[in-house]
Amino acid sequence: MELSLSPELREQVLAAREWGRAEVRPAGLEADRAAAPLPPEHPYFQRFIASGRARARAEASEGPEGRMVRAVVLGEEGAYWDRGMGVATPGAGLPSGAVSASGTAEQKEHFLGRFRDLKEPRWASFALTEPGGGSDTAAFRTRAQRTDRGWVLNGAKCFIGNAKRADWLLVQATLDPSKGRAGQRSFFVEKGTPGFTGVRVEKKMGLRAYESVSFSLEDCEIPAEHILGGETRKERAEGSGASAYGATMGALNSARVGVAASALGIARAALDEARRFAGESGAVRHPRIRDQIERVVRKLRAARLATLHAGWLVDQRRGNIVESSMAKILSAEVAQEAGMLGMEIVGLEAGAGDELIEKLFRDAKALNIVEGTGQIQRVIMARQLVGLPR
Amino acid sequence: MPDTYPAIDFGVSDDNQLIIDSLSGFAAEQLRPNLRAFETARAVAPEVAATFAEMGFERLQLLEDLGGAGLGMLTRVLANLTLARADAGAALALDRLGPALYALQELGGAAAVEQYALPLLDKPSARAVLVIDHADRRAKAGDSIHGVVAWAPTDRADLVVGLGPGGGWVLEGPGLAEPVRGAALHAAGASRIEFGGRIAAAWQGEAGAARALAKARLHAASLMLGVMEDAAAFSRDYAQGRVAFGQPIAHHQGLAFLIVDMFNAVAQGRLLVEDAARRIDRGADATQAAAAAFVECVEASRFVGPNGVQILGGHGFMRDYPVEKAMRDVRALGLLAGGIHRAQDEAASHPDALIAAFEGA
Repeated sequence: MELSLSPELREQVLAAREWGRAEVRPAGLEADRAAAPLPPEHPYFQRFIASGRARARAEASEGPEGRMVRAVVLGEEGAYWDRGMGVATPGAGLPSGAVSASGTAEQKEHFLGRFRDLKEPRWASFALTEPGGGSDTAAFRTRAQRTDRGWVLNGAKCFIGNAKRADWLLVQATLDPSKGRAGQRSFFVEKGTPGFTGVRVEKKMGLRAYESVSFSLEDCEIPAEHILGGETRKERAEGSGASAYGATMGALNSARVGVAASALGIARAALDEARRFAGESGAVRHPRIRDQIERVVRKLRAARLATLHAGWLVDQRRGNIVESSMAKILSAEVAQEAGMLGMEIVGLEAGAGDELIEKLFRDAKALNIVEGTGQIQRVIMARQLVGLPR
Repeated sequence: MPDTYPAIDFGVSDDNQLIIDSLSGFAAEQLRPNLRAFETARAVAPEVAATFAEMGFERLQLLEDLGGAGLGMLTRVLANLTLARADAGAALALDRLGPALYALQELGGAAAVEQYALPLLDKPSARAVLVIDHADRRAKAGDSIHGVVAWAPTDRADLVVGLGPGGGWVLEGPGLAEPVRGAALHAAGASRIEFGGRIAAAWQGEAGAARALAKARLHAASLMLGVMEDAAAFSRDYAQGRVAFGQPIAHHQGLAFLIVDMFNAVAQGRLLVEDAARRIDRGADATQAAAAAFVECVEASRFVGPNGVQILGGHGFMRDYPVEKAMRDVRALGLLAGGIHRAQDEAASHPDALIAAFEGA
């Protein structure tokens, strides 16, 4: 075996593989062919709940590997079968980490409690990116203003995963744009709140199995206690000069590792397709093809080690800013390369559009964009390596 | 399935850290300040070599029964990296057995090491040369053999060991080392090696030969990594101090991104080399992994070597700075251990094993 996995983790990988082969890949292909995410009432989600996988995820016992290393290994396996379906998986998902880390006891109970023992599919959503902001997360324009009754949010967000079907969204907004990052906080917006409007599910090139949503917040009123961590934290943060931005970026360092793991899965799937075709057609005997496959395999292995290393550092409670950005760069690039090479090897049959490799080729591109583009990752690394000014 | 699993672990053991620390100190005090002096002399100063031997570093990988430290491949990789960051030529000169040890160990076992390697360590300045033989000779003791190696980074060939695809051999007498100008790594010497005569001992075995070659590749690759880490770090520091157009040149994004990509290129090589070394240390087959790691390091060297010079501009081209030497050294190191093309053939020859990421038992 390529990696030495503990029996516990190995069992989880094999279970994910079985589920992936039987359920996730067909569901992902169905969504891709329909060019739309599976509707929330789709039987796939019912089967997911019934399978107990949601509970298994939540209760996964600690093995010898740390939490992030396990997340990397399982993330790669999940994305191998369909990265889009992974994002569409019911659960508290992306915002759960921030709520667990920074939420008040009441917030954790109210917003995460309903996800504890899922009986029906539910989603939550994390709303960061803005139409004019892109990767510049410090430049949000969505405003939050305190009123007698609570908070009023105004602004717009885009490319937000699962936002249409989510029970609630954790929306990043600024209290005072003049304070830059120090003025930013996160707010809970529940489904159906008046002023949460203009909801549009984007049509995408790939990763079609989950909703990427644009929406506006127009005088969207939410209760006073819907600010993550409560209002007292705000005063403390402002007083000490600390900010929610730091917490957000801390979460993103881990999120980058997760996205890198997803890219590894897509890369491996694309390579498997490329290799299968090269074997069947005999092209693998051609040294030029063989060497190209070898190179991508090598780059995949290096990217996997880089990603595991970045995750391992999290588990060791050590800094990983450079390593997580590097893992994200390498994994996303090898996914793209594997998709491109696969298209070439499969040839005109890939051009016909019905082969899996064609979907993987489209899916892979997104991984070099989401969670900070490859260029943003280089900026982050350059700040650390050569003190590139902000 | 094995009963115990080495967990995914990127840590450095206390023993290895101790070795790295003492080698770093030795390299910083004794090697780096003499970088150009040793290059000009085409040798490491005898007192420096004596210190290295006294510290026990010549015998890192020898079995404890043979008076060595019995340490594994990861230790060797880390030691090579540490020395080569200061001077890869000196690293080659100081490690007098070099990769010839692997052919003796893997094919002839402890007896061969005792018979051929230990006497060499007792002779001051004696050096062993590993000849990578692309032909499968099936040689036997007593056979005659003749050959020429156009360049080897050494000034002597007291012991000539051959390693082919199906086995290995040891020459009865020394080889003839005729000095050549040499492209790089001059502190180790630079010679054309002509060898001829009777084979003293020969061993057959493809598996042992493959293990020896895998180790030889990691040996060369880890020296390359040290040179590249130094070139990347030196040019990075320079770029932060050198101001052009009102700011450090490292802050111009064209250079900032190049510096990041150089860092990533070295890191990928290092991850693959360390991974292959760990596989060897836990007794797994590392033929493919070591070949791929070597290929990765050679590819990285083509990028990092010239760009280390590029970042310094005209200064980089001058011998006042070490980056021109790094570019030459790392290119020359990539020619060793059988070269990249054979490594690439072997890296690509197991396409199924390659992709079976978490599959199989």
